[in-house]
Amino acid sequence: MRVSTNALVIINHARLLDSDELHTITLRDGVVESISPSDRAGQIPTVGTAVETAMDAALHIEANGQIAVPGMCDLYARLREPGLTRKGSIASESNAALAAGFTRVLCSPDTQPAIDSIATVELIKQRAEMAQGAQIFPIAALTVGLAGEQLSELATLQAAGCPAASQADYPLGNTNVLFSAMEYAASFSMPLFMTARDAQLGADGCAHAGAIATKLGLPEIPVAAETVALARLLELCRETSCQLHISRVSSARALQMIDAAKQAALPVTCDVGLHHLFFTDDHLSGYDSSFHSEVPFRSIADRAALRQGVIDGVIDAICTDHAPHERDASLAPFPSTESGLSAYPWSMPLILQLTDILGFSLSQVFEKLSAAPKRIIDGGSSSGLKPGEMAEFFLLSDAPIEPVKVILESAGTNHPLSIHSPAEIGLEPLHGKVTNVFLQDRHHTI
Amino acid sequence: MSLADPQFNALGELHHFIDLDGLDKSILTQILDTAEGFAGVNDRTIKKVPLLRGTTVANLFFENSTRTRTAFELAAKRLSADILNVDLVTSSTTKGESLLDTLQVLEALQCDMFVVRHPDSGAAHFIARHVSPSVNIINGGDGQHSHPTQGMLDMFTIRRHKGDFANLCVVIIGDIRHSRVARSDISALVKLGAGEVRIVGPRTLIPAEVESLGVKIYPSIDKALVGADVIMGLRLQKERMRTATVPSSGEFYRTYGLSPERLALAKPDALIMHPGPTNRGVEIASSVADGKQSVILEQVTYGIAVRMAVMSIIAGNATSLRRAQS
Repeated sequence: MRVSTNALVIINHARLLDSDELHTITLRDGVVESISPSDRAGQIPTVGTAVETAMDAALHIEANGQIAVPGMCDLYARLREPGLTRKGSIASESNAALAAGFTRVLCSPDTQPAIDSIATVELIKQRAEMAQGAQIFPIAALTVGLAGEQLSELATLQAAGCPAASQADYPLGNTNVLFSAMEYAASFSMPLFMTARDAQLGADGCAHAGAIATKLGLPEIPVAAETVALARLLELCRETSCQLHISRVSSARALQMIDAAKQAALPVTCDVGLHHLFFTDDHLSGYDSSFHSEVPFRSIADRAALRQGVIDGVIDAICTDHAPHERDASLAPFPSTESGLSAYPWSMPLILQLTDILGFSLSQVFEKLSAAPKRIIDGGSSSGLKPGEMAEFFLLSDAPIEPVKVILESAGTNHPLSIHSPAEIGLEPLHGKVTNVFLQDRHHTI
Repeated sequence: MSLADPQFNALGELHHFIDLDGLDKSILTQILDTAEGFAGVNDRTIKKVPLLRGTTVANLFFENSTRTRTAFELAAKRLSADILNVDLVTSSTTKGESLLDTLQVLEALQCDMFVVRHPDSGAAHFIARHVSPSVNIINGGDGQHSHPTQGMLDMFTIRRHKGDFANLCVVIIGDIRHSRVARSDISALVKLGAGEVRIVGPRTLIPAEVESLGVKIYPSIDKALVGADVIMGLRLQKERMRTATVPSSGEFYRTYGLSPERLALAKPDALIMHPGPTNRGVEIASSVADGKQSVILEQVTYGIAVRMAVMSIIAGNATSLRRAQS
């Protein structure tokens, strides 16, 4: 990946989403100046080259029909720093995010130490600034050390730049603490990102309670582990009016409950992990730990409901749930492997397959990854690809790609596509690559 | 979709013995037929054949075991193998050494066959995928998943008494959820074409969607036992009573214990089986465990012949693979 900064950038022959018309996009000082139809008669230079002309010191980029897409916003990813840098770093993961088209990343507070102090927030912001990757927004730890006992200084953390607070994948068994947390966060209109998981039910589990877990003898995570916790969250949301975002929904029944809560006008939104729209517990056959996900892949019926939830709009957004690991974390029998998939290196080809799976246009798919998540964190002020807005978009090539040739910006290789062909795991052939990212005054060639 | 079954070698023959699910009926029958031959050896004065002479078998037990480890040791010795017992419960793995490091050390000591018991389901699969191709793995029990030699010795015992599996009604009682023995027995019975496999126990001890394994759930033991040809008990682990799955051993015996009165509901010649160790007065009455229909000790004895059969078949396949490759 190469980074350059030019006062003037002119991108020729770019398509906009759901349009075949070619456009010229002009950026000046990091702001989108104009988007206008290209002169079709103009000769198209070599694909993907950036030609700097001495005449106007502008950076000319020939998009050659590639699609300009507003930068995506990932509502849940792990950058592993501070404390877990054997798995990844802010530098590696924020650049992996950018190379995948994510210009904003909300990072999970499950670092060591957890993001429960202003010092940790400052450290992350400084490292992110140095890394020059995606913009990083630390999610505050809801409780000190994510121990589920004492509230973090949420107002202070919010003022320091945390757009939300979360308990990550750590249990919060004490309902008093949860109730207080939601009341307190509501006082500052701070959204809570909560994953519905009971502190005890399925706590030792590593697979959806179904035929596959039974056959393989894997400790089970029943659907009730999600729905019992969800019922508690929704009732407390009703009581406190806290803005509640349910992170990484996994089951059909949970979706029904969220739908009912939305019908009752509770301030609830939700997202689904990208991989949950593709994989089910069947993929665990043969103890394939590349599918070991903290939020378990559930049944085919659950996956169908999740897909329908995205189509119907009950699911507001799609996140990556990116979780890079070092190789050793996967070198153990399935229950002892560390959970999580390193999403970024393979996310774009998966995202593009959602058009067929969901019957969506490209703009409908990207809405779930760009405008919708931005609405959840800041009301969706800027798309990043409209005249007058700070630039925040990327160019997407639709060319086929070989899994083995995926460039690993991320430190983590823990993903099914690092050991399987797409066909082996029920995917279509992969295509789709981010070639250039424009983020404010920076231009990244991927 | 899933990872390939690691049990077979390049010639499509059994290389590791991990899990009965991936094996077809002909392999199970081959093991049972081979074990018949070894059962004779065990009745001789000199209980030894030279089939595994020069082979080193290492018992790698990451979990406590006396019965299974001893049975494998005897089986290896009767095949003239050298046997190494490595107690890993209190060894390097508790010092933080990874499972793979431990295996590599033992590979470097040039052992030919590992018998592995491990508390994680899928451990034998993992090990089979990571050992050098010259090493054979036999699963001595992985988590709640599989205990294939126990499954085969149970089948051997049933076949000796009942001949054919086709018309048999087999009842498995108790903690199916946490039992690797139950999973291997169910798998083998279904493969060998048992007429009906019934399972019975409180819902706390029955895993999700268990019917997908090819069994029928009976909530009442009294109904399940009617017409039974074979009754298999399972050990109820004491720790299960601490985790609220069963209120007490007394209540378990009253609701699911195999009493003489209940035994009378089954066919008069029904076999009583149990993988041991039995909790008398919890899963089974002493008079039933020691009664004339009980074959519990026969199971232990046949365990040696069955393990000899598995080891010799795998060693034979390893030899033919080496010849094919040289």
